[in-house]
Amino acid sequence: MRSFEYITPASLDAALEVSTRNAPHVKLLAGGTDLLVELKHTANGPKVLVDLGRVPELKGIEETSAGLRIGAMVTHTEIMESRLIAQHAPAMIAAAVTIGAVQTRNMGTIGGNLVTCVPSLDSGPVLVALDALVTVAGAKGKRQMPITEFFVGPRKTALSPDEILVDILIPAVMLGRPASFRKFGLRKGQALALVNAAASVAVEDGRIADTRIALGAVSPTVIRALQAEAIVTGKNVGDTAALREAAEMAVTEARPIDDFRASAAYRRELIAVGTFRVLEEALAGATAG
Amino acid sequence: MHHIEVTINGVLRRAEVPPETTLLSALRDSWGLTGSKLGCDVGDCGACTVLVDGLSVNACLLLAVQADGREVVTIEGLSGFEYLHPLQAAFERLSSYQCGFCAPGMIISAKALLDENPAPTELEIREALAGNLCRCTGYTKVVDAITEVCRDHANAVGVEESA
Ligand SMILES: Cc1cc2nc3c(=O)[nH]c(=O)nc-3n(C[C@H](O)[C@H](O)[C@H](O)COP(=O)(O)OP(=O)(O)OC[C@H]3O[C@@H](n4cnc5c(N)ncnc54)[C@H](O)[C@@H]3O)c2cc1C
Ligand code: FES
Ligand code: FES
Repeated sequence: MRSFEYITPASLDAALEVSTRNAPHVKLLAGGTDLLVELKHTANGPKVLVDLGRVPELKGIEETSAGLRIGAMVTHTEIMESRLIAQHAPAMIAAAVTIGAVQTRNMGTIGGNLVTCVPSLDSGPVLVALDALVTVAGAKGKRQMPITEFFVGPRKTALSPDEILVDILIPAVMLGRPASFRKFGLRKGQALALVNAAASVAVEDGRIADTRIALGAVSPTVIRALQAEAIVTGKNVGDTAALREAAEMAVTEARPIDDFRASAAYRRELIAVGTFRVLEEALAGATAG
Repeated sequence: MHHIEVTINGVLRRAEVPPETTLLSALRDSWGLTGSKLGCDVGDCGACTVLVDGLSVNACLLLAVQADGREVVTIEGLSGFEYLHPLQAAFERLSSYQCGFCAPGMIISAKALLDENPAPTELEIREALAGNLCRCTGYTKVVDAITEVCRDHANAVGVEESA
């Protein structure tokens, strides 16, 4: 690793100040599980490394009138152990447990996962299915945007180089909404997703009033399968044929690629299976209680 | 250079390190604690696993400066000159390793699991060790050793309770 100056600001303002002053030769450090791997393999690293580990504004999980707020520095392990998340958005836990191994989850943060923004990122689909908003802070203040606008492409987000991701908000209307997540990898342990999928549903009087389906690893970034959603919305809860139709539609909405992990054809099979299962599981959650 | 102070296996240790030094390098090169191993250097193999404030982490992906002021436990902290930790003894008794390169990380991960959950299922043991790769022995004997430690522990607690 190339040497750098290491700074540990104790507030969000101080972190913004050092990163603005040193831009563009600055990098932010969260859990380091992506960044350190990258820095070990690059010839020209940053001049300044800003460790976000002591910035209180980026920590914690709390319920507010706007919804459930999750700080960018919250680790995957903290998500798995959070009673608030278990109560309001348990599908986030289903996604967190699939990330890397225990060590990765103890270090890696949700913010780092979203900012790295690989197409297979496992926190992405559930947040899209739950219509999450992200808050980013820059020298000129804060702005909030839907997560689908935050994801721009492979390893590309809407963050400008001098901005910091502050938190993620699951809007109040989405709290407790039945949702589910599935990941398909080459192994169960420590494998990147070939395909991952999430769905959330709102059911009223036995009818599906709203559906959101999100797919990862099958397009440049996480996508919503809007046409598949339209097939399901309005149908009755027990309409399995509609779920099958939606699963086939989702395949046509994705653009999976061939790579060394799997062929595009195999990924298309997984999209259909995954879409069907997340819808089925989300609906089972809707009718269970 | 950064001055850091880290409590390692209960002993406060100091070092002057360049900021890009990983905790693993500091342990091995500054403090001579070579039990934690450098395998892949990118978070995949778990040979470098240590506990930081009680949580297992990959010491190859943590900067030494990030560990400043924190408590670290390495494989050297589990045993003394006269005794082995029950996990170490069980690994030895059941030949749970051949070359042994993976063993310090495996045992630290197993300790992290048992500290939280003294009676894990086989699936829980396997999930807890997903980040620790072994290239010679395989995993069956590792799971057997951990299972045996749990059984011994449960028996000991049972004896105390009935006494
Ligand atoms: C062995 C291994 C297995 C893995 N398995 C998976 C997996 O199964 N699924 C998966 O999705 N990922 C996986 N990952 C990737 C990685 O662990 C996750 O993406 C993790 O959440 C990254 O978070 P971090 O805190 O470590 O980020 P860091 O490495 O600290 O940062 C990542 C990037 O985000 C930037 N950044 C971090 N926080 C902020 C912020 N608040 N504001 C602005 N920029 C920020 C950093 O500058 C850097 O560019 C794996 C990694 C390893 C090493
Ligand atoms: S050396 Fe750290 S995980 Fe392999
Ligand atoms: S015993 Fe050799 S790597 Fe596990």
